[in-house]
Amino acid sequence: MATVFERVSAVVVRQLKVGAEEVTPEANLIDDLRADSLDIVDLTIAIEEEFSAEADFEIRDEDAENIHTIQDILDFLATQGLS
Amino acid sequence: MTRALVTGLGAITPIGLTAHDFWENLVTGTSGVTTITRFDATNLPVTIAAEVKGFEASNYMDSKAARRMARFAQFAVAAAHLAAEDAHLTLKDEERRRAASAVATGSGGAIDTMDEQMVLIEKGPARVSPFYIPVMAPNMGACQVSMHLGLRGPALTSVAACASGLYSYMEAKQLITSGRADVVLAGGTEAALHPLPIAALANMRALSRRNHEPTRASRPFDRDREGFVFGEGAVIMVIESEERALARKAKVYAELAGGGLSCDASHITAPLEDGSGAADAIAEALRDSGMEPEDLDYIAAHGTGTPLNDVSETRAVKAALGEHAYNVALSSPKSMVGHLLGGAGAVGALAAVLAVHHDTVPPTINLENPDPDCDLDYTALKSASRQVRAAGANGFGFGGQNGCVIFRKYKA
Repeated sequence: MATVFERVSAVVVRQLKVGAEEVTPEANLIDDLRADSLDIVDLTIAIEEEFSAEADFEIRDEDAENIHTIQDILDFLATQGLS
Repeated sequence: MTRALVTGLGAITPIGLTAHDFWENLVTGTSGVTTITRFDATNLPVTIAAEVKGFEASNYMDSKAARRMARFAQFAVAAAHLAAEDAHLTLKDEERRRAASAVATGSGGAIDTMDEQMVLIEKGPARVSPFYIPVMAPNMGACQVSMHLGLRGPALTSVAACASGLYSYMEAKQLITSGRADVVLAGGTEAALHPLPIAALANMRALSRRNHEPTRASRPFDRDREGFVFGEGAVIMVIESEERALARKAKVYAELAGGGLSCDASHITAPLEDGSGAADAIAEALRDSGMEPEDLDYIAAHGTGTPLNDVSETRAVKAALGEHAYNVALSSPKSMVGHLLGGAGAVGALAAVLAVHHDTVPPTINLENPDPDCDLDYTALKSASRQVRAAGANGFGFGGQNGCVIFRKYKA
């Protein structure tokens, strides 16, 4: 069973078209993974989809404002009981 | 007044992913029509189409950029890169403001609307892609070409149904000859292969239902024609001012001599029976080019293979050219490439340019039993080697929009 990090990493690689080796917990979505504001909205939707079977949640705009790095995504998912 | 020259060719079509391959297959009479592979079409009345096969967007642009583009825009960007490469086009920063794009389409990303609508219904508004609007908007063909090639002059998008592609060459000529631009990437693109338009056009009785014989389905001017074959793809050419082209010793395929546009002002789908609207466009193209009917050796016909179009177009050519109509060679690229809708005019233009360049007229395949009402020389079945001093491309669209653009051999 893939870990939450592995699953998030796979979504990020698919959505942002970056190399798997670039996706580390510290990686900044904008500075390191070259995302723009539309990419981040798109990414949050894809994360919701990925975990929709286990938890029904929505990444609201105020949540998205606090997401800068991969670790921020993992922290948010932990608040939804996904870790 | 400076002249507008064709210095580069790019094509993504059902019979070739370069202008060179397109021409090889066009001259040898190779059909690009097959059973639809993109989706399961078994419940549709029409199960055949001219699909672009083997196209990988990532061969032409980075995959992240490709993900933010509908297929029609990917085709346009790919064809534009090919055209720029063929022209050995390089732009200095100060030249970019005088470089433009003109990329026509019939329906832009309409099929992406259908897919995103399903997301809205099935998963709710929170799951709708933030990219939906900039992906489906019809102007994105031109804008993406401008983004990828760094063209900071005008980015134009004509929407004129199946005449669309020709409008781009009208715009390109005007931009160049009026001195507003020195380079224009001009053409048309379409990628609308989806069950909805297939069903609608089939119900309109516009499409051939020869599902069991795909390569024989598109048969313009033939007695047994019954409609067109749905196609997809893009053609983009580099149109360049004479001064710029000569200064950099560019290879010149042809001169974009002129064009004419008109509207039937009559019916939403049927052309005027006497072809007079289309005739006006052809006559105006000759006038705009400073040419007489006798100067024209070839016409890449609109030639859809619908019962109405081919008779009406035949009458239009006779009305515009008089007796010379019987001396000019015609042929329909759609017999092989299918009908690229908003890209069709640009396919015809490419056939015209290459006919002028190679002194060769491509054939109309499947023209086995000519319709008695279609009595011109449509270059049936086999290509013809003959001098082509000048060639026109016709395009007529729903709404009654007519266009004709003429290319001729360039003489300095």
